[in-house]
Amino acid sequence: MRVLVLLRLAARGVGRNARRSMLTAAAMVLGLALLIFSRALSDGGHEQWIDSAVRMGSGHVAIQAPGYLETGKLEHRLDGEQVGVAVEAIESLAPELGVLTWAPRLSVNGLASSAASALPVRIEGVDPGREATFSDFESKLQEGRYLQAGDGLHAFVGAELARRLDLEVGNRFVLTAQSASGDVEGQLVRVAGIFRTAVMELDEGLVHMPIETARSWLGTEGAATTVAVLVEPSVRTDGVAAQLAGRLGSDTGVRVLGWRESSPDLDSAVRIDDYGDYIFHIILFAIIALAILNAVLISVLGRRREFGILRAMGLTGFETGVVVFIEGLLLTAASGVVGMVLGFAFTWGFFRDGLDFSGLMDSEMSFSGSVIDPVIVPFFQLQQVLVSVYFILIIGSLASLYPALRASKLDPAEAMKFEQ
Amino acid sequence: MSDLAVRTEDVWKIYPQEPEPVQAVRGLTLEIERGDFVAMAGPSGSGKTTVLNLLGGLTDATRGRIWIGGEELTGMSERERAKLRLERIGFVFQAYNLLPVLTALENAEFTLLLRGLPKEERHARVHGLFREIGLEGLADRRPGRLSGGQQQRVAVARAVVADPALVLADEPTANLDSVTSDALLDTMERLNREHGTTFVFSTHDPRVMERARRLIMLVDGQIEADERRAPVRGGAATA
Repeated sequence: MRVLVLLRLAARGVGRNARRSMLTAAAMVLGLALLIFSRALSDGGHEQWIDSAVRMGSGHVAIQAPGYLETGKLEHRLDGEQVGVAVEAIESLAPELGVLTWAPRLSVNGLASSAASALPVRIEGVDPGREATFSDFESKLQEGRYLQAGDGLHAFVGAELARRLDLEVGNRFVLTAQSASGDVEGQLVRVAGIFRTAVMELDEGLVHMPIETARSWLGTEGAATTVAVLVEPSVRTDGVAAQLAGRLGSDTGVRVLGWRESSPDLDSAVRIDDYGDYIFHIILFAIIALAILNAVLISVLGRRREFGILRAMGLTGFETGVVVFIEGLLLTAASGVVGMVLGFAFTWGFFRDGLDFSGLMDSEMSFSGSVIDPVIVPFFQLQQVLVSVYFILIIGSLASLYPALRASKLDPAEAMKFEQ
Repeated sequence: MSDLAVRTEDVWKIYPQEPEPVQAVRGLTLEIERGDFVAMAGPSGSGKTTVLNLLGGLTDATRGRIWIGGEELTGMSERERAKLRLERIGFVFQAYNLLPVLTALENAEFTLLLRGLPKEERHARVHGLFREIGLEGLADRRPGRLSGGQQQRVAVARAVVADPALVLADEPTANLDSVTSDALLDTMERLNREHGTTFVFSTHDPRVMERARRLIMLVDGQIEADERRAPVRGGAATA
């Protein structure tokens, strides 16, 4: 019953000092809205980095043979049966896991030679039909075309590689690599198309060829070094990886990796950027905390007589402090809700199609193996928003503690002398 | 149960102040009977308000003992004193008496609410009292929309609504004009007469002193004179 009285007093206190409450709330609302906006933008940026990198790399989830991640060698490959089991597991779980698509890849390090030069390259045997929906290479086409179903001795090469080997669409060149038997084998292929991604390591060192041609050339019938899986959004990666690992079991001799494991550089880049965001958020939280502390403390100091009367009426010091504490909490909670809604509305209303930073950067930039799109589309993660609200409530509580303590310690006789 | 509403025994209140401690109350020994109507007068700084704060448990005595209705106040914990104030003491202050966030009705019923009385009973008591002291129709007004006299009457209603043994009134008429002061005093006198509530005032106001049945003069924190007088009635209860 007394708790209800204290609640009522606190609610009235917030309502009565409308201007003060509004100003305090405005600081918190703005802070939280800014927090949600920056978080959504940051997560959106990360999502783009990850998407770009995993599409051109080994997917959000990679199914590989043990040892392949460490060595990159053909001897650590999935055989035809393992590929079949992996594909079956993916297909069976796809609807419930949010799997977008999957693609098998047979990758090997080798040499690309033409009359002009010979350069080390990464050769990836791909399923042209699946790869078109998986990677974004088709959109990076500079000349010619991407690989198609039915292609045999065709290759899709990076623009820098083509320049250095003096290759044009239709030219032939030789790929050389160590086959499954350990022998070094050569394969003559013809340039079907040339791509440019802005990621230099891809543009100067990646060759796509039909997986069946690669299997036949390298003596690895039905094999793949990776079965790459795309999920949406990337935050589902760990869940999908765990489910697939569970379905495949340990006796199949395969390993399921999330992108953080298979692309440690990208993982580090995202983490470093996250830390930068956290520092910004800590500063923002500190500003919000000071705003609350300032407003609630001024309110307490300005209402000493009121608190003195409460004490005279029979409230204890603790209860008087509780009134102030609840006031701070109410203010924080209300501001939290409004800030969250405003943050969503602002971000979604103005930037749902993306915030264009092309004026601030080159049209093509790369970072940790991923192409950076100058248009960042905000990405809302419920968990992140809840964490922000949780932190706002925590700092609201902490910032209200000191004024509450001051109110509880007020000497009622002294407080009664205060002219309101 | 004791017939004394208040008893003090060699009460001192010393404020530790530089360069010298201030002795606001010096060896106060006092007995006030139940149902009395007592005024404590004296010049500014004589310790009137401090004595009321001591009697109300709003401040601690440096030494000495205080009993309210037979219950010893000195030595009580803060929680026990809060309970004592809630159950046995009503306060009327000089000004800004009311909680600005509550309506007149909510202010007046506040102590009843803290005591956990049901809404119907609270409202019945407050409305009855409001009728008695001429506050009908003002129950829903916030303090800011009441005159000074109306605010003080609401404060009086709040102080007496829970039938306390003792009402401590610190210069209740100081900010009121003479007509309003008389009306307020009429109200308190009538409540004293009809409900037997003990009133102790601190005051400079001759009107209060005239009506008191007992006048205690304080000078420099000590009782200089303690005069029992014939009660002076201020006329009919005010509306």
